[in-house]
Amino acid sequence: MEADPIVNVVAIGHWGREVGIYGLMTSRWGWPIAESFHFIGLCLLFGTVGLFDLRMLGVARGVPLRALHRMVPVGLAGFALSITTGLLFVMTTPDQYLHNPAFLTKLSFMLLAGVNMVLFYVIAARGVWLTGRDDLPPLGARIFGAVSLICWLGVMTCGRVITAFRPPAYFWCPWC
Amino acid sequence: MNSIFASIEHWPLSVWAREDEYAYFLALIFHAWGMALLVGGGVVITLRVMGVAGGAALSNFRGFLPVMWLGVALAIPSGFVLLVAYPAKAFTNPIFAIKFACLIGAALLLRRLIRIGAAPRNSRMLAVLCLLLWLAGVTAGKLLLHTYRVLTVS
Repeated sequence: MEADPIVNVVAIGHWGREVGIYGLMTSRWGWPIAESFHFIGLCLLFGTVGLFDLRMLGVARGVPLRALHRMVPVGLAGFALSITTGLLFVMTTPDQYLHNPAFLTKLSFMLLAGVNMVLFYVIAARGVWLTGRDDLPPLGARIFGAVSLICWLGVMTCGRVITAFRPPAYFWCPWC
Repeated sequence: MNSIFASIEHWPLSVWAREDEYAYFLALIFHAWGMALLVGGGVVITLRVMGVAGGAALSNFRGFLPVMWLGVALAIPSGFVLLVAYPAKAFTNPIFAIKFACLIGAALLLRRLIRIGAAPRNSRMLAVLCLLLWLAGVTAGKLLLHTYRVLTVS
């Protein structure tokens, strides 16, 4: 395997062992419990943000977007849960994730979702708050909604196939 | 029982799901999408009954039910492929039964919540229970990977 000049996988692995994450995660129930919370977090995220996106695309007209948006903090809590547990996976076996094409694609989708979210609030959100409860929001907002939905489904898809692209067989390091 | 599992394992669908390079992962992906839509709809409706987004009438949330049905339409066929690929793995694991009990319970409770509305105070308690059942169903599904004792019998 080539050396990675930017991400020191070995050091992350050592650190994970030193602080005890490795021991916790490789115990009988460590990994399964973390995975369960990872999925619960995703359910909360998709159930609020993903369904808000769907409402912007015209599903469940009659539900005011402004009211539905109050569910987003629950999705943020879910996201925090998924990020925390996700970091535990990476700290335990960094070499299996940081050079894994599926994982890096997953991170790219998350980054795109983040940029898309910021642009949504800067550019399109005001038009959404003014949208009538039976109406479609402006086209720009619908595009942000569609991108968000595709990103989160992409995150799930990549997450599902991480195990199919394990290094070293699928070693992937765009910056090496 | 083992002879039934063995005969299922010889179905062409079962062999294909196990041996094709993409089949099992494609089924996993569709199952994840389906469950996300199904449980996502369950989350949004139970949160509404719990009082989040109180400014929106609960009856309008019925508009999310087709999303849940789409989720079911994706999750059941893909789940069937995953099941026939390794029938013994699922049917010898009590967590498989717990998963279905949680999801069926959550669906029935959700139907009842939509019918009785968000006003009665015990609706909120039932909505919390309903949300926990949806999440428990997903958790049990996840745990199937870590708790099986038998993979195949033939």
